[in-house]
Amino acid sequence: MESLACKMNTNVRDIAIPNDWDRRGLPGWCYHSPALLELEKEKLFKTHWQIACHVSDIPEAGSFQCFDMCDERAIILRDPNNEVRAYYNICRHRGSRLVVKEQGTCPNALICPFHGWVYNLDGTLRGPGRPESFPQMDKSKFGLRPIEMEVWQGFVFVRFRPGPQPSVAELMRPFEEEAAAYKMDQHVPTDGIWTEKSPVNWKSVRDVDNEGYHVAMAHPALQDLYGSTYKDEPFVDGVSRSDGEFTPTKGRRWAVRNYKKMSMPQSFLPEHLQKRWLYYGIFPNSVIAVTPETVLFYQEFPVATGESVLRSATYRNETENRQQRAARYLAARIDRETVDEDIQLTIWSNEAMASDSFEGFYLSDLEYGVRSHHDHLRKVLPIYTLDDAPNEDELSALNTSMQHTGQT
Amino acid sequence: MTPPKPNTVEFNKQKTILYARVGPPGSGAARYAAAMYFYNMKLMPVEMLEIYRRCSKFDDEDPNDLATYEGVQDCLLDFSTSLRKKT
Ligand code: FES
Ligand SMILES: [Fe+2]
Repeated sequence: MESLACKMNTNVRDIAIPNDWDRRGLPGWCYHSPALLELEKEKLFKTHWQIACHVSDIPEAGSFQCFDMCDERAIILRDPNNEVRAYYNICRHRGSRLVVKEQGTCPNALICPFHGWVYNLDGTLRGPGRPESFPQMDKSKFGLRPIEMEVWQGFVFVRFRPGPQPSVAELMRPFEEEAAAYKMDQHVPTDGIWTEKSPVNWKSVRDVDNEGYHVAMAHPALQDLYGSTYKDEPFVDGVSRSDGEFTPTKGRRWAVRNYKKMSMPQSFLPEHLQKRWLYYGIFPNSVIAVTPETVLFYQEFPVATGESVLRSATYRNETENRQQRAARYLAARIDRETVDEDIQLTIWSNEAMASDSFEGFYLSDLEYGVRSHHDHLRKVLPIYTLDDAPNEDELSALNTSMQHTGQT
Repeated sequence: MTPPKPNTVEFNKQKTILYARVGPPGSGAARYAAAMYFYNMKLMPVEMLEIYRRCSKFDDEDPNDLATYEGVQDCLLDFSTSLRKKT
């Protein structure tokens, strides 16, 4: 099952699991400290690349997609020259949400629902409502504020503040060739962008997703689909990779049996990717996954220490025949089952973090992906290395001083 | 965006939007945006722009009806009546 692609990646990235490693997770306090959550919003979520949508979510001039995260709001828009643009969804007059709908088309201009300022699709101000009530305005000073944006393989990434990561293309370079085979940028939406609130800390979501040790126990459908071929490569330089190849068995479960029957070779995919599900993890909180039928992304954002938003969307090949469509529905069914199972696991795991009697993780080699993610976190915020909860009021300052003294 | 010029592609596009049929979703907003374009060209008085602003959230509202009702002079565009579609 060792594919060409895996060998290639091994050459580029050092994905070996050390013989002797600290098998502990993050201390429990990290999962319910409001002061840490604020720091995470500022230093992780707003300063790292986030997937806002796919180019096919904004198919024509004037199409827009809104993206809200950690008190920030973006609008991704296609301008009349077919360029993808990203702005803060904030009116320059008094800061109202400019575009209220989640998604749609504004063929001519953006109009603020508060007092009717009008913005051109290139972000410049066309004019304020009741223009006679203002002195002569320099309209170039009142354009929408752009957000840093990059399109990678059809996915639109935004970054609300400058941060430590390189460009998305640079970050994803180890997977570039493999990912390009999927022609992700030519995929189209299926059932839109899905969001759901979950009563857990965002890290509990990621901790569950970053290891495949639980697959055999928790995901009977995935086990039936790819079983023990599944493996995780840890996070190295901000990205991870996991994959599983369909086992030759027929499949014991209805959806898997039929999926294996229906899934057919895609002309554009090399042979070693024809029967494989593949996941690219992007630090700190996103995953792009590919199957022969679909590409999808999923991510989670913190709302509060014990509440997160899960957000995802699935895209399909533009041309698909009936059999491929059937396979796609079956894949979605397997995936949905898996998501529900994972949500339950994150709730159970997150509960433990509040209990004084829980002494922390003791991780298997099969969970080294979790450790590697935590190590990435520690590098950004050294405060995670403290075993005992610091004083909430001093947490941010303490983190800063640890950063300066190089304690990670 | 470059300053508006008469009889360009953009000019004609905005003209079409301004006089498009009332009703379709988003048409009220699109008309107001077009009105702002012609206001910037000094081809529409500020009173008429305000009529369009007031109608911008109501796709079924014909700004010209409101203008007549309020006694506001229609736009200064000489093509205003000839191009307007009967609804
Ligand atoms: S806040 Fe947007 S027009 Fe006033
Ligand atoms: Fe899982």
